[in-house]
Amino acid sequence: MIDRNQLRNIDWVLIGLLVLNSMIGVAFIHSSSDYIPGNYALKQFFWILVSLVALLLFLSVDYRFFVAYSLYFYIIIVFILAGILLFGRLTAGAKSWIVLPFFQIQPSEIAKITVILVIAYIFSDYKRDYLSIGQGYLSSVIVFIPVLLIALQPDLGTALTYVPILLAAFFLAGLGKKTIIIFLILALLAGIVGWNLFLQEYQKERITTLVSPEKDPLGAGYHTIQSKIAIGSGGFLGKGYKRGTQSQLRFLPARHTDFIFSVIGEEFGFIGVITALLFYFLFLARLFQSVTKSRDRAGVYIIFMVAVTITFQFCINVLMTIGLFPIAGVPLPLISYGGSSLLTNYIAVSLVLNIKMRRFVNV
Amino acid sequence: MKEKRIYEDLSPLLNKARITLIVVEVVFILLLFCFWKIQVLDHNKYWKQSEANRIREIVLPPQRGLIMDRHGEILATNIASFKASIIRENCQDFEESCQNISQLLEIEQAVLKERINKYKDLPLFQPIVIKDNLALDEVSRIEAHKMEFPELIIQSEPKRSYPYKSLAAHVIGYLQEISREEMEDLYKERRQGDLVGKTGIEREYEIRLAGKGGRILEIVDSVGRRIDEMSKVNPVPGQDITLTLDFKLQKRAEELLKDREGAVIVLRPDTGEILALASFPTFDPNKFINRFTPEEWLTLLQSSEFPLENRAIRGLYAPGSIFKLTLALGALESNVVNEWKTYYCSGSTRIYGHPFACWFKGGHGSMNLYEGIRNSCNIYFYQLGKMMGIEEIAHYARELGFGAKTGVDLPGEKVGLVPDPDWKKRVRQEPWYPGETISVSIGQGPITVTPLQVTVYTALIANRGKKVRPHLVHEKTSAERKEGVVDIRETSFEKVIRGMWKSVNDGGTGRAARVDGFNVCGKTGSTQTISTATAEKLGKKSKIVKTHSWFTGFAPREDTEIVVTILVEYGGMGGATAAPLARELFELYRKDNDR
Repeated sequence: MIDRNQLRNIDWVLIGLLVLNSMIGVAFIHSSSDYIPGNYALKQFFWILVSLVALLLFLSVDYRFFVAYSLYFYIIIVFILAGILLFGRLTAGAKSWIVLPFFQIQPSEIAKITVILVIAYIFSDYKRDYLSIGQGYLSSVIVFIPVLLIALQPDLGTALTYVPILLAAFFLAGLGKKTIIIFLILALLAGIVGWNLFLQEYQKERITTLVSPEKDPLGAGYHTIQSKIAIGSGGFLGKGYKRGTQSQLRFLPARHTDFIFSVIGEEFGFIGVITALLFYFLFLARLFQSVTKSRDRAGVYIIFMVAVTITFQFCINVLMTIGLFPIAGVPLPLISYGGSSLLTNYIAVSLVLNIKMRRFVNV
Repeated sequence: MKEKRIYEDLSPLLNKARITLIVVEVVFILLLFCFWKIQVLDHNKYWKQSEANRIREIVLPPQRGLIMDRHGEILATNIASFKASIIRENCQDFEESCQNISQLLEIEQAVLKERINKYKDLPLFQPIVIKDNLALDEVSRIEAHKMEFPELIIQSEPKRSYPYKSLAAHVIGYLQEISREEMEDLYKERRQGDLVGKTGIEREYEIRLAGKGGRILEIVDSVGRRIDEMSKVNPVPGQDITLTLDFKLQKRAEELLKDREGAVIVLRPDTGEILALASFPTFDPNKFINRFTPEEWLTLLQSSEFPLENRAIRGLYAPGSIFKLTLALGALESNVVNEWKTYYCSGSTRIYGHPFACWFKGGHGSMNLYEGIRNSCNIYFYQLGKMMGIEEIAHYARELGFGAKTGVDLPGEKVGLVPDPDWKKRVRQEPWYPGETISVSIGQGPITVTPLQVTVYTALIANRGKKVRPHLVHEKTSAERKEGVVDIRETSFEKVIRGMWKSVNDGGTGRAARVDGFNVCGKTGSTQTISTATAEKLGKKSKIVKTHSWFTGFAPREDTEIVVTILVEYGGMGGATAAPLARELFELYRKDNDR
């Protein structure tokens, strides 16, 4: 349980930045969805409260417990992923949801936490300068199983967000030239096989239209073009809160989810973008700097993987809105509407807080 | 175990995390640059695109002005019609759309694509007309399939209609789709797909008839639902135009020409008002006032009988004996002869060593000016021509309006040709032969005129020299009107008119045009279209052996009210074919204007 000392060591600044960014999200979810039914802003606010409770609950248990039992959690979640693939219902063209009486949950988001914990567990006693082949394969397989299950749903965007977990771990462990080459070759092979066997026609189109979205302005390029128009037309100062024509008149797709950053750009202009980037950067920087507050190797791995994963998702999403990355269905962490993603990120940050809080504890 | 943890050196890991954070910092700065470029540098471009997204322009076409005859009979009006347009923005799959629409509207796919391709530069949200003049069952069929074709819209538009079909078709003209050139030069405010007058009054008074289009700017959402109206400019309807045409005379004129080729013009000589202007064969302009059936039009255009040509202002013919009046006026004016000087006609003569024949092989005997005109004696006028010389003839021809536009308010009027030695040198690089002067003296040879020029020339004679500008629309401002008098004495006109009166009323060549109590004065003409030698070779069977048949005249002799000109191509002798037709028009006019 938490004692008084530990309570004093809770990083309230990090929690503050976490909530601040989430509330920015609520504001723009409201702006971009209050004219459609669904009460998305309210729901998101509710999810923030739920996630905060979860965050506190996860703080109460020593992170080393989670690391120690990570493999069990992992196996459970893999079964759940396999289960929904077999028995799940199709929602929006993919079997990625567990539908509960009042809300839905996306296990593919939550699974990220268990993968991070298992990887941390694998690398916690690893002290060589370079990654061994065995450990490399082992961790790759650990990541590959849920990635495959999620890709089959099919939800390539979420599957993609697992890749940085592995890369972060490898980077920390240290890569020899040989391993780098082997992985590059594997990645290339995976790319070729994936392109030919797994990618749907629309997904290929999304990648090809990245090069020239104007070629097919009504087809695959539509989202990218509308998003760029939204951001560009916002100008320096923006069109004003709830006054963005691109979002309010629904030219912008997925306004409260994947393209919420375009709404910020349209309604608050370049000033708004700078501000949003700044707040987000402060949050990410705080995460990265937290590594120094870890008392052990597993903690460093966890914090680093969490920070890299969120950073990676953020960058992919923002690049997508300005047409520099194919539309992959990756939400903007903390800001986009979506309970599962929010909960996952809060739990991830909770682990970071957990590690920082217990840096002086010797058991 | 505890010791081990405490001494564990994590610094290489922490360094890597620090490096990563630096990379993240760089990425964020690069992101800022990207947003700077899009939001600040390229702002205008995206702003315009976002405005184009949300603002939709709806064109409100103006009602086109009506065209009426002088008594208010409507000759051109507007009726409701439906057109189908495609909005490419709403196509799920363009190719598939084309395929389905081509089935629905029964248009060949290639044709459909061609129609759309013509406007491929237009923005995607703008409708492109793919079929117009829809039949009612087509409209209901499209409405029934509305949900399957979100890209297809039906709009109603006023369509031009000519209730009397081919009546006065050459005067009124017709509409067709605006061409690129017209859009660039003439009607800059108009847009692709608009119909504009291509000929006749529809063309000449296009701007007045068309009015001004209005437009609504409205805010729409991504599926095209209207959210709000930004601004509205109402269309200004076109002005109605009242023509000088008289419906009854026009109708009769066309009936008279039926199954012939030629032209009829009826004109008020004092004002220049054209009461009737007919050209035959003719066409029904209703048949090609739509965007997509050029076949009908092309067939007419390529027909060997040239039904689209307005022969009254664009047909070039030798004036034949009608030109003799020019010789008479010129000779009197330049004192070459007086009216009593006689020449003897034996049926033929030799001038400059060449034989020249009179049309009357038996010979007319001794001819003075009055008898020369009455009998249309060639020999008499050969003598006048020989004495005047070509320069003098050309001078009076021009003075009387030949070789120049009459200034009628119709597009495409031709000028004809008054030949002289200068012209021959310039165009044919040959000297003028004296024998040609003799041919020109009786209106043959290279000289060409239009029926309207002949009408105006007759009006000038009836006016005793007062010039007149023929017109179809009465202009309130007379600044444009051709005023003034020609440089010929009134007494010369009186003498020529006396000859013309004798021609009709004293058993002359124009006697078939005589109307009791209406004092018609006139002149016939029969122009050879081929040389006499060739004609003899072909024999009498061939159509082109026949001469063009002219009659031009006016009535009454004093205070003239109307001028009538008839031209029947290959009609034979003027007195036999054209003069009786003229009589019918004089009679009709007299009956309707009996005081």
